[in-house]
Amino acid sequence: MIARAASRLTAEERLAYLLLGPALLLMAALIFYPVGATIVTAFGATDKLGRISGFVGWGNFRALGADPAFWQIFRRTFLWTALGVTVKTTAGLGLALLLNLPFRGRKVARMLTVIPWAIPYPISAIVWQWTYNSQFGLLNQFLTTTGLWPHPPAWLAEPRSAFAATMAVDIWIGLPFFALVFLAGLQAISPEYYEAAAIDGAGAGARFAAVTLPFLRPVIVMGSLLSVIWTFNDFSVPYIVTKGGPMNTTDILVTHMYKTAFQFLDFGPASAIAVITFVTLLAFSVVYARLYFREVV
Amino acid sequence: MKETRSGAAELTHDFVELSEAGAAVRLPAASALGLRRGHETEEGGEGMRRKVALAAIAALCTGLLALPARGGGAASVRAVWMEYDARYNTFWQQLKKEFEAANPGITVDNVVVPWNEGHDRLVTWIAGNQAPDIAIVGTRWIIEFNKMGVVQPADTLLPKAFIDKFIQPALEARINGRLYGVPVALSARSLYYRTDLVKTPPQTWQELLAAAREASKSPGVYGIGVSGKKFAELTEYVYYLYGNGGDFFVTNPDGSYGRCRVNDAAGVDALRFMVDLVNKDKVTEPNVGENDRGTLQDLFLAGKLAMIETGPWFGGMIQERAKTMPFAVAPMPHNQGKPQQTLLVTDSIIVFKSAKNTDAVVKFLEYAYRDGPRLEFDKDFGMLPTEKSVARDAYFQTAFYKPFIQQLPTAKPWPLTADWSKVEDVMWDAVTAALLNTKSAKAALDGACREIDAARGIK
Repeated sequence: MIARAASRLTAEERLAYLLLGPALLLMAALIFYPVGATIVTAFGATDKLGRISGFVGWGNFRALGADPAFWQIFRRTFLWTALGVTVKTTAGLGLALLLNLPFRGRKVARMLTVIPWAIPYPISAIVWQWTYNSQFGLLNQFLTTTGLWPHPPAWLAEPRSAFAATMAVDIWIGLPFFALVFLAGLQAISPEYYEAAAIDGAGAGARFAAVTLPFLRPVIVMGSLLSVIWTFNDFSVPYIVTKGGPMNTTDILVTHMYKTAFQFLDFGPASAIAVITFVTLLAFSVVYARLYFREVV
Repeated sequence: MKETRSGAAELTHDFVELSEAGAAVRLPAASALGLRRGHETEEGGEGMRRKVALAAIAALCTGLLALPARGGGAASVRAVWMEYDARYNTFWQQLKKEFEAANPGITVDNVVVPWNEGHDRLVTWIAGNQAPDIAIVGTRWIIEFNKMGVVQPADTLLPKAFIDKFIQPALEARINGRLYGVPVALSARSLYYRTDLVKTPPQTWQELLAAAREASKSPGVYGIGVSGKKFAELTEYVYYLYGNGGDFFVTNPDGSYGRCRVNDAAGVDALRFMVDLVNKDKVTEPNVGENDRGTLQDLFLAGKLAMIETGPWFGGMIQERAKTMPFAVAPMPHNQGKPQQTLLVTDSIIVFKSAKNTDAVVKFLEYAYRDGPRLEFDKDFGMLPTEKSVARDAYFQTAFYKPFIQQLPTAKPWPLTADWSKVEDVMWDAVTAALLNTKSAKAALDGACREIDAARGIK
């Protein structure tokens, strides 16, 4: 059968399959297998090495559901994502509009914008961790010597300020991506539309609402969808800046999952958290994509 | 995009490690395979494309086949070393060089990992069947690794004469009468104080408070450092707990650990004393929540702390980074009426069961545990001697080492329990909550004990 099916393929098709083969094998080994194994582990009781010793049905999920700390982290992850994506999208759009204006040094400004995003995330996170230090850090030194804020908080020492400070790092790193994508989107809009709108008497606000936003919509939608996934799963920023502290108040699902697995060696519950994260993001992406494509079509 | 970037970073990191291990796998260069622009047009057509494809696949297969060769060869020892400080890599690389020259046919692959990541990295390697042959671990981790069934007893592997070299307090890694790790670093914790700010070293908490109050009067100086940020170990609460006659667990008649007991009077008073230092007496740095042991040490080195509680390595750091700072060391203060007791910490080298060349491992350990390299290790990284012969060296007979060595007979180690990572994490949260005044010391420790007992399956 296979031989017959294979013989029906043209030489080019056979080569195509041959070339796809290694990639498929690698994907199976590096993506499908780990995902499958994680889902199976989520329903298992495991030893300290993550080996499954039996199945507990929904036991791991029920245990998570009964843990108030988990719900706190679950809610915080949504807050973290919503805040992060909203600020990154709106500020990114603002920045793109600015960078789209003709001014001297625009090229340099555009290049500088990319820097936070071009630096490897862990390095940015470590630099910010020091910047926030209340004794040696640049930020408080700046705030106090300029008199802008005579008694600034020790940013990473208290739950609320630590959350805000960590969020700010995530935004700082993620903002350039939006600025660049939106800038590309803006440049794709033909000037003729603006000219036509101006002839019709549209002011700057009206031109933005009637021309810029509608044309940018697909970019905004796709950009924010990607950002939701990245922000929801952002490990390096909270883990490096605060390690989830103080008192786990800056933990989000992904850092909690890491600690559960590799610090406490509870691989069953950690896999359950992974599955919850996966399902949440999958559901969000499907709903989001459906809404988007329905409107576009 | 983010995932790709961080993935790439990890790959690069792994590659660097492999390269360091001297067993890097390299794919043939594209040019060697004829993958040059223009080739296609010269010969043209599908035939060439297919050749190129086959060459690419062949290259991939070569790469994949070469992978198992990692760490192979006649005899190799793959060693993971937790990093004590920046000179660490040099120490092990030098030892590797000398050992390999003296033992042709045996190679040593050194991988250096920061302490704060060490536990989790080792677990990941063990879980992925990639455990090294030997590793330095915090002795408190051994019971957990032993429960996984991955550690070889050291006393069956190494000759008795080797084990007999060690001083008794260093042989901490005994589980049910078997020794599972050979001590590599030993420390007891003491009080460092600025002799220009603290005239008489405090012996009790009460004297400590008075000294801290006095020192705080100097501008820009805080009396004593307290850290409230999670670190690889539960400093400084453990110092106050042990100094108040407290402990983490009730000890059962058979020697095993029972219920959590940090919420008893000794435990609660210890935390209350710390909370008062921070919030009532205000003799600590103001930002306790953002400091861990490392940044507290930085504060002391920057001249902002009059006193700090830490280990013998800090003496070397002061000499290196704050040469002119006048300081001295004293035994850890204790609560008045309670016996003086400090924390004793050992790190050990464990041999994993998966180690193939145990003969090579033994040879390497015997080489590394000669008096010369051991003294050099202790000097370089500020550790107390673990071997009787090294302890006799003139280097350790100084005023600096005296308080450390003097405390050894009564010093107490961390409890050896398989759930220690969880216990420590819960304890950190309780201590931080009390220090930040979000909970009373009693409420925080009551909650911690409930959580710890539940995690350890004690009802």
